[in-house]
Amino acid sequence: MRFEDELVELLPRLRRFARGLARHADDADDLCQAAIERALKSRDQWQQGTRLDSWMYRITRNLWIDERRAAGRRGPHDPIDDGIGQIAGDGAAEVEAGALRGDVDGAMARLPDEQREVVMLVLVEGYAYREAAEILEVPIGTVTSRLARGREALMHYLGEAA
Amino acid sequence: MRFDPATVAAFVDGELDDLTARRIEREAESNAALAAEIARHRALKARLAAHFAPVAEEPVPQRLRALLVDDKVDTSLSARREAKAARFGAMQWGAVAAALVLGLTLGSHPWTPAAEVATDKGALIASGPLAKALDTQLASNQPGDAAVHMRLSFRDRGGRYCRSFESWVFDGIGCRDDGRWRLERTIAGQPKADYRQASSGELAAVAAAMMAGDPLDAAGEQAARDAGWSR
Repeated sequence: MRFEDELVELLPRLRRFARGLARHADDADDLCQAAIERALKSRDQWQQGTRLDSWMYRITRNLWIDERRAAGRRGPHDPIDDGIGQIAGDGAAEVEAGALRGDVDGAMARLPDEQREVVMLVLVEGYAYREAAEILEVPIGTVTSRLARGREALMHYLGEAA
Repeated sequence: MRFDPATVAAFVDGELDDLTARRIEREAESNAALAAEIARHRALKARLAAHFAPVAEEPVPQRLRALLVDDKVDTSLSARREAKAARFGAMQWGAVAAALVLGLTLGSHPWTPAAEVATDKGALIASGPLAKALDTQLASNQPGDAAVHMRLSFRDRGGRYCRSFESWVFDGIGCRDDGRWRLERTIAGQPKADYRQASSGELAAVAAAMMAGDPLDAAGEQAARDAGWSR
C-alpha cells in the first residue's frame, strides 16, 4: 500500500487522538494537518516495516507539545462549550455519554498535558503501555505513573461512577 | 489476597500475564472491594471511549484528505477505481453519521426509528429497532410497511450468520458476532418511495461475495432465528 494510502486509513484515529489533545475541533484538525505535512516531508525517516501509526502519533504529539510550549503556560483551556459536532450515539448509555460530553472535556482539560496524552494513548486509543512509552519516548514506568495519576484525577472530576 | 492499585489498573488495561490476570479474576468473584475497583476502572475507560468514538466516525475533512489523495487527477483506470472506492467509503460513513444524527434527533417521534447504531471499540453494532429486526424479523414473513426490511440471510465464510437489510436511513449487512449484530457494510438508504430498487443490487453483490454456500431459505432462516442465530 502506498504511504499516502496508509496515512489516509490512519486519519480517523489520528483525528480522535488530536481531538483529545487539542480539544477544539478546528485546532485538532490543524494539528492533524501539520502532522500530515510533517510526515510527507520526512517520510524518508519512517522505516519500512515499523509501525506507521506509532510514528504518526509521535509526530502529532510532538507538534502539539511544541505548540503548547510556544504558547507558554496558558493554564487549562476553557471547558468546551461549542458542542463539537453532533452528539452521536444511540441507546441510553450513549445518549447519556453524549449529554455529559462537556464533563469529560472539562475533566480532560484539567489534566496536565503529560497525563492527558497518556490517557488518550492507553485508555482511548488502546495502546499497550510499552507502545505508549515508545510513542512518548519515556520509560514505561513514567507511563504507568502518569496514567495512574490521570486516572485518579478523572475519576475524581467525573465522580466515582465515572 | 490484596492487589495494589497499579496491578488492578494493569488488569483492566490487559497488561498482566495470563496467570496473574486469572488470579485477579478469581479473587474478584469473592472480593467485593476488588470487583468494585475493577468496575470503576472499566466505567472510566468505557466513558472515555464512548466520548471520543464519534470523532473517528466523522467523515475526514476534505482539507486533510486532499493532502494525501488527489481526487481530481484521474489518469488511469486504477486511479479511477481507487477514487471510486474512496468515495464509496465516505458515503458509507456519511450514511452512518446520518443514521446516528437522525436517530438521535428524531428518535423521540413515534413514527421514526430510534437510533439504530452503536459503537464498540470502533466496530459498528446494530441496536434499537434495527437490532430487534435483525433478531426476529423473517424475510419470508414481514409486513410491507416494516421500518426495516430483511433481504438475505446467509452464513459467511467464518460461519457467522449474516443478514442484509434495507431501511429508510441506510442499508447494510449485519453479522452475528458475540451475541450482537456487527454491521459489516452500510450503504446510504433511499427515501421510502423507491427503497426497493436503489441499493439492492449493490447490497446483493456484497452479500454474494461474503456468502459461503447459498442463502438460507425460509425454513433455514426460521430455524436459525429460533436458535438465536448461534453458530
